[in-house]
Amino acid sequence: MAKTYDYLFKLLLIGDSGVGKTCLLFRFSEDAFNTTFISTIGIDFKIRTIELDGKKIKLQIWDTAGQERFRTITTAYYRGAMGIMLVYDITNEKSFDNIKNWIRNIEEHASSDVERMILGNKCDMNEKRQVSKEKGEKLAIDYGIKFLETSAKSSINVEEAFFTLARDIMTKLNRKMNDNSSSGAGSQSLRNNTTKLLLRAPLNVDCDTQNTKWILLTKPIDLSGSSFSDMEAMKWRHKCNMATN
Amino acid sequence: MADNLPSEFDVVVIGTGLPESIIAAACARSGQSVLHVDSKNYYGGNWASFSFSGLLSWIKENQQKTDVSDEWDDWRKLILENEEAISLNKKEKTIQHIEDFCFGDQDSAEGVEEAGALPKLPVFGAAGAEGFAQESEEARAAVESTVPESTEPEKATGTEPASAREGSDAEITSEDTSSHSAALGESAGELGQTEAAVPEASAQEPKKITYSQIVREGRRFNIDLVSKLLFSRGLLIDLLIKSNVSRYAEFKNVTQILAFREGKVEQVPCSRADVFNSRQLAMVEKRMLMKFLTFCLDYEQHPEEYQDYENSTFAEFLRTQKLTPSLQHFILHSIAMVSETDCSTLEGLQATKKFLQCLGRYGNTPFLFPLYGQGEIPQCFCRLCAVFGGIYCLRHPVQCLVVDKESGRCKAIVDHFGQRISAKYFIVEDSYLSESVCTNVHYRQISRAVLITDQSVLNTGSEQQVSILTVPPVDLGKPAVCVIELCSSTMTCMKGTYLVHLTCPSTKTAREDLEPVVQKLFNVNTEKDAENEELEKPRVLWAVYFNMRDSSGIDRNSYDRLPSNVYVCSGPDSALGNDCAVKQAETIFQEMFPTEEFCPPAPNPEDIIYDEDEIAPEESGFSNSPETKPEASTEEMSSGGSAAVEKADNEE
Repeated sequence: MAKTYDYLFKLLLIGDSGVGKTCLLFRFSEDAFNTTFISTIGIDFKIRTIELDGKKIKLQIWDTAGQERFRTITTAYYRGAMGIMLVYDITNEKSFDNIKNWIRNIEEHASSDVERMILGNKCDMNEKRQVSKEKGEKLAIDYGIKFLETSAKSSINVEEAFFTLARDIMTKLNRKMNDNSSSGAGSQSLRNNTTKLLLRAPLNVDCDTQNTKWILLTKPIDLSGSSFSDMEAMKWRHKCNMATN
Repeated sequence: MADNLPSEFDVVVIGTGLPESIIAAACARSGQSVLHVDSKNYYGGNWASFSFSGLLSWIKENQQKTDVSDEWDDWRKLILENEEAISLNKKEKTIQHIEDFCFGDQDSAEGVEEAGALPKLPVFGAAGAEGFAQESEEARAAVESTVPESTEPEKATGTEPASAREGSDAEITSEDTSSHSAALGESAGELGQTEAAVPEASAQEPKKITYSQIVREGRRFNIDLVSKLLFSRGLLIDLLIKSNVSRYAEFKNVTQILAFREGKVEQVPCSRADVFNSRQLAMVEKRMLMKFLTFCLDYEQHPEEYQDYENSTFAEFLRTQKLTPSLQHFILHSIAMVSETDCSTLEGLQATKKFLQCLGRYGNTPFLFPLYGQGEIPQCFCRLCAVFGGIYCLRHPVQCLVVDKESGRCKAIVDHFGQRISAKYFIVEDSYLSESVCTNVHYRQISRAVLITDQSVLNTGSEQQVSILTVPPVDLGKPAVCVIELCSSTMTCMKGTYLVHLTCPSTKTAREDLEPVVQKLFNVNTEKDAENEELEKPRVLWAVYFNMRDSSGIDRNSYDRLPSNVYVCSGPDSALGNDCAVKQAETIFQEMFPTEEFCPPAPNPEDIIYDEDEIAPEESGFSNSPETKPEASTEEMSSGGSAAVEKADNEE
């Protein structure tokens, strides 16, 4: 089946309750803003396909499902994430202080090479500001990650934020592939053939030189796919009959 | 807890094990308001998985025999005159006889701390930790090293080679600095050296994994308390697919089925391809096996073949078939996986058929294993519950159930913060029920061992095998031991190691039940005094034994004074599959809500339209989901992506 994208990136939103994670998600995926969300209900993830360097990238952006409220985010939420948006509310100092704790959580549960970015949301509400932009920038510098102030309501920097994160993931991915191809056999085929792979981190690629096709060694099984049928079982029965007759 | 909980729900679920989590998801999915709590700081109860340091903390916690004594009685004020309280347990009592061992390699492990350990007091200051993110409380090792915290180092204990590191007195994970500061010496100063020393040592002997490496890479481990596999046509797989919860997890196929016969580990040919490629089977054996397995696939059609043996055991029946002893062994122990003495012919045929039917759905063996461990599965159902509005509270003990004397129904719970929360239905995991309710309940036990080893039990071309091995009992009538060996690509152990789970129904303590099997399969000696043949076996680097209570299959009526709207979920059973938990969850859900569908598919997020004027389209499968996003405005955006039909994203 033909795919409508070249890469799939799994991104997460993390931060305290009420900082505007879901609003950012809606602004980016639906270009809409709705103030009536009290907490995140019924939103699992949203999809938007963007284009970077001529490649179609499907961003699958996951929301916390409200489980941040009592600090009960499941470890499963972090699995396979390639990029994480850490969001605080510039009008809420506590949410900013907690960014450090969320970073610690990420270090524990997410892949060690996950791309991260800090967002100070609600920057349209300058009159209620509790966290200066400089403070946000300093924190980001301390951790060596990128920073933007955003407003989901006024649509400020939302596009930029997600595109930046996606681009950083892309850069890391390209670097990884170059590393792999310079050290492994059959190196040339890698860059040409990974494009249609469903990429997940952490991944473990190896080259099947005969088919010049890259295989995910740790290729996980996705039950939602319909990749297997009962054919195998039927073939088995058929062969059995042949062998015994 | 800063945030206050609502004081009324439809359903309160206590415990986050698999059956409770499935019920919570099903209830939220059908529109009930759900509060889901667990007294622990992690998800899953006895279904949980831990990092290495997390497991060490768990061991320590369970070795402490002291009960929580600071009984707080104020909650009794919240109980009205016409009500009575059923107290719940505050202390886990389902784990017994824990013994952990560290083997050898102490020279390099001496004085090594868990580099980059995330101590209980976080690096970022203790204040934040108080109310925050205590799911991380089980200290985990980070890959990148951080400043060593002398407050809570996880230190390789200086054990004698192969000596037991038993009891809490040997545990050096204590928070009490004074107790081990002497042992650590100038730990801060030494750390630099040890860190440098270890890579050096591993450069000399690149293959050897030391205990200190395990400690340092502890975050790579996801060690299951309960060892199970998913039958590819089992109830859990069906439920995961049906409910769309499968989108939260990924799986790996078990790659080989092994048998233990005449002191050797052998591969069991079970798929068509295996049988044809098998070098150990003679041509005539291949035909025999094929013929018999083909018969098993539709044995119901040929009653004449087995009718005469319906009152015999399956083992006896196999002896009458044209099968060599090795084939009989494979079928009995590794395919049907049934007891030699207790299993009837029909049960054996059923089990064989189930195995064969599961072949080929996802690969050449009938089993799947969830990446990052079995502990992910309950959490996936919790996520579904949360997506549908369920509220989650970990480290949230419950004092009691409040029962209305007149109606005999449960009205509310009182949590340990003294908040009274009312609900219509209550789901309680068995271990939360206090002894007064369980006096007539007889529990079985499961014997468990977890080993970290340096090689696979069967050396094949590939390092990345996931294997299941059944070791038949030495004494007839005793249970067989199920061994599951996981490689690092299952995301449950660090590179260069294997995680081995041993499970059987208990007859004695876990160590007494399982150590003989461990000694047969593994080298538990140090190199110095090991015999040559021992050296060929995988070396055990670390091991733990424990008994877990098996509360499955208990009749509801054995619990005393249980209100009719309180439902009890059992902990993990000793069976390989998860059917028991799924069945229980569905039964309880149907009893509560007979007219509601059990876990219908959650809508695909891409199908949900948030535009107020429009109505969400009918739920559809995972594929063929029309992109519902309105036309994009940004130039950078791919114009194709916005209107295009997305198809089967995850089929790869």
